[in-house]
Amino acid sequence: MIQTLGLTRRYGERVAVEDLTLEVKAGEVLGLLGPNGAGKTTTVRMLAGLLAPSAGEAYVAGHRVTREPEKVRPRVGVVPENPGLYKRLTVRQNLRFFAELYGVGDPRRVEEALALVGLAERAEEPVATLSKGLRQRLALARALVHDPPVLLLDEPTSGLDPEAAKEVRDLLAELSLAHRAILLCTHNLAEAERLCHRIAVLKTRLLAVGAPAELKARLFGRRIVVTLARPAPGLPQVLNLPFVRSASLDGAKLFVAVEEPERHNPLLVRRLVELGAEILYVEEEERTLEEVYLELVEGDRAA
Amino acid sequence: MRLRVLVLKEWAELFRIKMVLYSCAFMPLLMAGFAGFMVWQGRTLPPEAQGPLFNAALLYFLILPVMIPATLGVYSVVGEKEQGTLEPLLATPLSDLELFLGKSLVAVIPALLLTWGVFGLFLLAVLFMMPGGIPEGVLSLPWLLSIFGLSPFMALFAALVAMLISSRASDSRAAYQFAGLAVVPVLVPLIVYSARLLAVDLRFVALEGGILVALDVALLYLGIKAFRREEILIRWK
Ligand SMILES: Nc1ncnc2c1ncn2[C@@H]1O[C@H](COP(=O)(O)OP(=O)(O)OP(=O)(O)O)[C@@H](O)[C@H]1O
Ligand SMILES: [Mg+2]
Repeated sequence: MIQTLGLTRRYGERVAVEDLTLEVKAGEVLGLLGPNGAGKTTTVRMLAGLLAPSAGEAYVAGHRVTREPEKVRPRVGVVPENPGLYKRLTVRQNLRFFAELYGVGDPRRVEEALALVGLAERAEEPVATLSKGLRQRLALARALVHDPPVLLLDEPTSGLDPEAAKEVRDLLAELSLAHRAILLCTHNLAEAERLCHRIAVLKTRLLAVGAPAELKARLFGRRIVVTLARPAPGLPQVLNLPFVRSASLDGAKLFVAVEEPERHNPLLVRRLVELGAEILYVEEEERTLEEVYLELVEGDRAA
Repeated sequence: MRLRVLVLKEWAELFRIKMVLYSCAFMPLLMAGFAGFMVWQGRTLPPEAQGPLFNAALLYFLILPVMIPATLGVYSVVGEKEQGTLEPLLATPLSDLELFLGKSLVAVIPALLLTWGVFGLFLLAVLFMMPGGIPEGVLSLPWLLSIFGLSPFMALFAALVAMLISSRASDSRAAYQFAGLAVVPVLVPLIVYSARLLAVDLRFVALEGGILVALDVALLYLGIKAFRREEILIRWK
């Protein structure tokens, strides 16, 4: 649904996005993560047919953004960084206006979109009187009103209270089930982990892309954490097992990378008991997406 | 179709701004009032003195087609910039040209309707005030051509100047003040009309019309260049 090939955008001398190659399939949510200034918004704008790439190409809903941006735009729903609503007009007037520009003739679509984001009761109020979160929801309704196959969302839950953010997330999950391709830019890693099938980490260049679990395994390998009753200095050095790739101790926690946890964990535990260790828990180490993200972004800075 | 949707949205929005309402509702009535008052004052003058009076009154109707579009043009661009609505607007299938034409029409159409509307009111009032009706030779062809022929080009000029200035100005008040430049083309007839009084002839109207058309064409060219998606997203701040 979305495919980019070596997508690049420069602003004068500055390179905002470099050689980005990505794919988002129908029914998939791809999270685009990256520090401030990483080029997320620039990417969204290029995919929405708003900014021309300096090099490379992107296919969105079957059309090239460089050749036919006017065919891309009607097939894409965008929630920009700033909701950009007409404050003097009412909620319904705002949505009607955009619906008509997208060629949606049926006024029922407007009402449906309002109901979908829970704004039906406030439809007659001027946008100026809405809170930030409600405006964000209206921006989402605007992106959905023409039922586009591709959704580009630039931080759609920023500024929402936890409950509203959850509602938006549930809504997004539903929308992806309806075979839409969704690109979600966010700084909220928990949100990305919960919602996105795959994650792309961008910092001008693409640093990594994959399912959250895949990225964790690729970056850190799988490690076992053995919690001991008390610290046992020197223990890693005397383990002496062929399948242990590395072992380290942090207080009473022993971190061990083994080749195949399913086969080797029992052997590891037996060996530890032989060595006189008192074991409280044995579990697989849970890496957070935050660690993955920081590793990638900081690793890139070091390089 | 999309053009119409855009224009109707703009009006719905603009007429909620007090400053805009003031210049669109109050100014036309004020101008027609001034013009009417001048004629009323001179109602007992001999007919040959009434001609110059009418000429001076005419000028009020040449200020309106510049003033109204300048106000509307500034607000319709500044409003989008300040509310950050340009990006979602540009993400719709609206074409660059539709956006540009839409914004121009938003400013030009009310200006012309209001100018001609209050001009009609003024003529009606004159018919009542003057015992002998409108004096011979006053409602001449050049006179009518000024009101009906020149004003569309003046309105377009003012709208384009206002839109271009506010697309570049970072401050809306500055934009509003600079847009006052749009009165320059009416200063020309103002000076000529008041210097030569009755002698508003066809040659003069044609000359002024020619200048306005040339200015409008140049501004349309600049406007189409300025109202491109990339330009708007990257350079309008
Ligand atoms: N109009 C512009 N003119 C010049 N440089 C720009 C422009 N817009 C963006 N940039 C630069 O391009 C780079 C990428 O910006 P972009 O807005 O795409 O980042 P982002 O990932 O969306 O950041 P954030 O998380 O802060 O929203 C930045 O260095 C930014 O300063
Ligand atoms: Mg951004």
